[in-house]
Amino acid sequence: MSELDAATGDALGELLLAMADDEFVLGFWDSEWTGIAPILEEDVAMSSVSQDEIGHAKALYELLADLTGQDSDSIAFGRSPDGYRHAALMNHPRTDWAFTIARRFLYETADAVRLESLAGSSYEPLANLARKMRREETYHLLHFDLWLRRLIEGGPDSRNRLIAALQRLWADAQGVFAPLAGEAQLLAARILPESIEALRQRWLARITPRFVELGLPAMPAPPLPAPDARTLHGADFGWLHSEFTMVAASEAGATW
Amino acid sequence: MGVKDKVWEVFRQEAEGDPMIHGGSVRAPDEELATHYAREFYGRRQESERLWIVPREAITELDDPDLLKPPFDRSFKRPGGFLIKHKLEAARERAGVTDELTREELGE
Repeated sequence: MSELDAATGDALGELLLAMADDEFVLGFWDSEWTGIAPILEEDVAMSSVSQDEIGHAKALYELLADLTGQDSDSIAFGRSPDGYRHAALMNHPRTDWAFTIARRFLYETADAVRLESLAGSSYEPLANLARKMRREETYHLLHFDLWLRRLIEGGPDSRNRLIAALQRLWADAQGVFAPLAGEAQLLAARILPESIEALRQRWLARITPRFVELGLPAMPAPPLPAPDARTLHGADFGWLHSEFTMVAASEAGATW
Repeated sequence: MGVKDKVWEVFRQEAEGDPMIHGGSVRAPDEELATHYAREFYGRRQESERLWIVPREAITELDDPDLLKPPFDRSFKRPGGFLIKHKLEAARERAGVTDELTREELGE
């Protein structure tokens, strides 16, 4: 986009990469349920939702590729693990079903707030994509709210596992709203209609009463997002990265 | 499949105004999950305008051949009514008409 100055373009790139990597990495973790989800129908549903996330990541990588003149596949698969910008919430392996549902609930509710805001972005390609993604994420949100309720009502084992998972993920979930380098430029250009911290407060104001409604214990006071919430990824992500880059790395530059 | 799962029959409409046709079935413990699974199995590829999700036990089945396939010739009960092709041909011959336009006017 020629009308963006270099600093704003870089900042927009960081925003797109953060969002794309969130969707991409989560899509890969949850696609591991294919074949082993609790019931056959859920197996298909979870696989489909995971594919949706990879599709959203692809659309976001393509926006970034348009901006930088790169290729979306090489952005997706061509980086070393430390080049990814997903939030710490996505560093954890899929673990058990309760853990997966806890993470999805935290992520889907956070992503909904982010997309609602970006639907009003001054960067039209991003605003359009956010509006499209919101339509599909509406179903994701319903689906994981539904599972959250079932695990809460499903007896002490599922309820306790869910609560433990929510508590374990609570600090890392804040990292979905970690401040971005160049946020000031994005706000000045109205690419971000509101500060990321304002979005985090809106998300907290939405899920805290939902937890009360569902009879969940209060979460600890939410810490501020860690400064390295989108840059430090750990060994589990290193393993996932080696899995999802395996084919692309087996012959660099191959096309099919 | 959990012990509390039920079978739900799913009907789909391909375009606005089309009839609802049976798509298949899903298993789910309740209406809410059945709706989600129906969407995944019969609606996620934009192939459906609308779905009906019906618990199988709500369906009354009739398959008695004495009621559905009676042994006598009841072809006169079909929407086409009696076969009058041969009567029409005889009438045309008597009148000496054979051209297509007249055949159409005769209602064949």
